[in-house]
Amino acid sequence: MDSNNDEALDIIVTNVVATFRTRCHLNLRKIALEGTNVIYKPEVGKVLMKLRKPMITASIWSSGKIICTGATSEEEAKLGARRLARCLQKLGFKVRFSAFKVVNVLAVCSMPFAVHLVDFTKNNRPIASYEPELHPAATYRIKNLKATVQVFSTGSLTVTGPNVQSVASAVEYIYPLLYECQKPRCK
Amino acid sequence: MFAAGLKCPGCGSSNIVDDDLYCQAQLVCVDCGSVVSEGTLADDPVGGTDVSYSRTTAVTKKPCLNLIKGLERVKEMCRILRLNSEIEDLALTYFRQAYQQESFINVTLQKKEVLAGCCVYVSCRQRDWPITLGTISSLLDADPTLVGGVYQEMIKILNIQAPFVSIADVIEAHVQEYKISAQHVAKELAEDSKVLTKRAVALVELAGDSWIVTGRRPLPIMMAATYLAWQSLNPNKHRLKLSLDKFCHLAKVQKRKPAVMRITELKEVLCKLGRELPWVRETVTQDYVVRLVGDILEHRHTLLTRALRTHETAMQADCPQASALNSPTEEVAPSQCSESRDQTADASSALQLCPTDRTENQEEEDSHQTEDPEPNWGKRVLFAPPCVVHAKRRRAEPPPVQNVTGDEEISDSEIDSYIRTPQEARAFALMQKAVSSSGSGNS
Repeated sequence: MDSNNDEALDIIVTNVVATFRTRCHLNLRKIALEGTNVIYKPEVGKVLMKLRKPMITASIWSSGKIICTGATSEEEAKLGARRLARCLQKLGFKVRFSAFKVVNVLAVCSMPFAVHLVDFTKNNRPIASYEPELHPAATYRIKNLKATVQVFSTGSLTVTGPNVQSVASAVEYIYPLLYECQKPRCK
Repeated sequence: MFAAGLKCPGCGSSNIVDDDLYCQAQLVCVDCGSVVSEGTLADDPVGGTDVSYSRTTAVTKKPCLNLIKGLERVKEMCRILRLNSEIEDLALTYFRQAYQQESFINVTLQKKEVLAGCCVYVSCRQRDWPITLGTISSLLDADPTLVGGVYQEMIKILNIQAPFVSIADVIEAHVQEYKISAQHVAKELAEDSKVLTKRAVALVELAGDSWIVTGRRPLPIMMAATYLAWQSLNPNKHRLKLSLDKFCHLAKVQKRKPAVMRITELKEVLCKLGRELPWVRETVTQDYVVRLVGDILEHRHTLLTRALRTHETAMQADCPQASALNSPTEEVAPSQCSESRDQTADASSALQLCPTDRTENQEEEDSHQTEDPEPNWGKRVLFAPPCVVHAKRRRAEPPPVQNVTGDEEISDSEIDSYIRTPQEARAFALMQKAVSSSGSGNS
């Protein structure tokens, strides 16, 4: 994956957000009454259901649209979503698992060097933006991958993108740009 | 109610009252009964015109009032900040351009005022006039987050770029705010602003080199630098006794809470350098180091090199123990560590071995680290960002679910664990009712 260095960078996926539909109306009060691990929020009009394995939190709306967050991989998200759909089926709703889509993936990564953010932003204007008073990281948006990378001066990165592949490509893309602007760690 | 100042055209009396006819307002003379003026039935409809200003032809005839007000506000701010005419003209141009854009024409008046402030800010930065976003927020009396958001949007829409402002430039303006010259305070507490600025700049540069500045808000750092500079220029007991709180009270500036932490961090760095001073006999503590600040800043480059060298030798001496404690994932380290352990009886030979082993060990540490990469590099080097040195410990993550395909079978029993049995559901419903009724009874 990283062809231009001899160390492998650890990209840790911390959160995967996915949505799916049940194609039927859901009675939130019934779910709140008969489901365990459930929090009913009538003011917003949704129910939060937490699964133990995989560790997932789902927001369930009465229209049948469900958002699952907290998974650590795309497959885990799918498994969690299916488990949730089975659970709703058992509660008595005519659920059909459809339109499953991974919407967002968040990953963190750490460079083995520190980065000089001012130089990095100057070299990559206007794709990179850095306002030290507003946020301590420089933001780099990769348009064709639809990914956003936030670079901190310690060398840590947080990457968000529509899927795991785009996140990995984003890290690969940005590595040489960061390597040019590295800062010696001990000074 | 007597309507003052009006005269009846019929009889000339000023005895005019409000005598509304049904829903139509009327002013009637009491003496002769003639109607002086009638209501607004034929005039502008209630609540403004049907067609909004921006859609009428008045736009071309009369410039928008809010635009004029905004331009006045820009000029006012430039005058308060005492900016030169070039910056003012640039700010006015930017404001005119930005005002016409979609995202700024139909927004609240507060946002338009914030936009005026952001135009001033950008113009200052482009003409190398040091100013911070914090100053602009306090001028506008607006939330810094809002100001930041408007600023980012404006930059994107106008497609302009602003060069960076370094703290060392801003600090001069900051120090001038402090009222501690001889005319404001007692003689032993007074300080000349130029001298104070010079020392504060040196402290800020040192902070920048040692990872204190990056990622932090500038104002608390400037405050900490000013305070330490003031204390160290004349470290008599009056000054040393004064806490940051009292100092800010004395200088009539508002204290920033994070400044206390920055002072501690700066003192730590100064201690590390102070220990390298060859003529210091006593142990350098945080209280004692203030007296040495002048010397430290004068020779800081030499002291930095010496401190790094001392740190390296200290690391090398620790190296035999460090490599012994490392996890056995490093293949080469244990064999080298056993070699070095055999000869640790003689300290000098351990040092000889280690330089060659240490670099290899370090590289392997880098490549084999999976558990805690960050704290290690924070503890290995002399200066590291505080967020790395005191890294948040990640709670032990549950072992990742192995080989998940997403399409596996889901057994009934696991699903049943998420569903209440009918008896449980009934009990839950009863309990909820009981809780809600007792809650409403109590409240």
